[in-house]
Amino acid sequence: MKTTGNKERDMQLLIGNTLRWGVTLACAVALAGGALYLWKHGAEPMKDYSSFDYHALPAGAETYTTLSGILDGVAHFTAAGWIQLGVIALLLTPVMRVLLSLCDFVLQRDWLYAAISAVVLSVIVCNSLGGAV
Amino acid sequence: MTILTFTVILLLGAYCAGLLGSLTGLGGGVVVIPLLTLAFGVDFHYAVGAALVASIATSSGSGSAYVKEGITNIRLGMFLEIATTIGAVAGAAVAIWLDNSAIAIIYGLVLILTAAMQQRRKSDHDGVKGSEAARRLKLYGTWPQKDGSLKAYELKHVGGGFGVMLVAGVLSGILGIGSGVLKVIAMDGIMKVPFKVSTTTSNFMMGVTACASAVVYIQRGIIEPGIAFPVMTGVLFGALTGAKLLKRLDVSLLRKIFCVAILLVAVNMIYNGVTGKF
Repeated sequence: MKTTGNKERDMQLLIGNTLRWGVTLACAVALAGGALYLWKHGAEPMKDYSSFDYHALPAGAETYTTLSGILDGVAHFTAAGWIQLGVIALLLTPVMRVLLSLCDFVLQRDWLYAAISAVVLSVIVCNSLGGAV
Repeated sequence: MTILTFTVILLLGAYCAGLLGSLTGLGGGVVVIPLLTLAFGVDFHYAVGAALVASIATSSGSGSAYVKEGITNIRLGMFLEIATTIGAVAGAAVAIWLDNSAIAIIYGLVLILTAAMQQRRKSDHDGVKGSEAARRLKLYGTWPQKDGSLKAYELKHVGGGFGVMLVAGVLSGILGIGSGVLKVIAMDGIMKVPFKVSTTTSNFMMGVTACASAVVYIQRGIIEPGIAFPVMTGVLFGALTGAKLLKRLDVSLLRKIFCVAILLVAVNMIYNGVTGKF
């Protein structure tokens, strides 16, 4: 029966720390964007979020829905761009976790779970890219 | 109200969501959706996008603490994540065809299920003999006891657990929530995993499941920066506070309050969904 050895504890610590760092980074970026957002738009009336139509997004939606729009926003220091960058960084934290586990399983020569992790990773990546069409 | 007011209120609400979410083992998404739809009249789709952000924030924020303690079963989580991610892809695909009322009713039903599951007796499932499938998949593990020693456990009904996880994934794709309740049902109820291991592993998995449909959500435009910003930061700080408090608080009273609260919200959701108010 396999018990939790030192190497596994090390990996768990690494994953835990990576999650912490990723989350902190994402939060910092989003806070920067958010501060900018409030600074520029704080006094404006709240946006109307009461209805949503997939086929009729609000004007200027590319700034927060497409990668090029977001990166463009980041380069020009827009609030929407930086906030979405923070969201993307947040999204990457679980992906990093799967990636690290994959590497760990390979190091342990646990091919079964390396394969399982690879399947999970590819489902996420394929779905993300597929939606970009 | 102004953007500033809205943001600050949402931030505080999200903080409470993250706090409650990490103290009770449920994701922050459960509180964020009713907060946005019932209190602010926000369209359900934006609320689902916000819930997704909240789920990942809760999972990654407090999950790191649980991984360090060595309770989470990473292999079990990874194996089940095949089911949840595939389910999430399917759910996100289906979500386009659902209107607000349908989403509200599904959400209400999930809340009722959540409240019911909270009442379960928590079991350590001593002496469970693992199934052959579980053994070949190396799904057994150990978890630290209060005195610091490690206790071994085995599990069974791998197929059943996998099936429930597919459903959990689909729900996550539709509602943006982490479906923590179904994950705990699958692990604790069907696979006979010790309760603490199921809740921490479920918390751990929530983020990955949410990730699977997250990019699609961004592209559809339901993750809106003005909402995402206060939700994300509020939930993160709340979840971190919750993880620190967890050791010191008596959580059972909190769970009872939470249970009553989500039942009320569930009834409200279903009523509004059925009468078409959304």
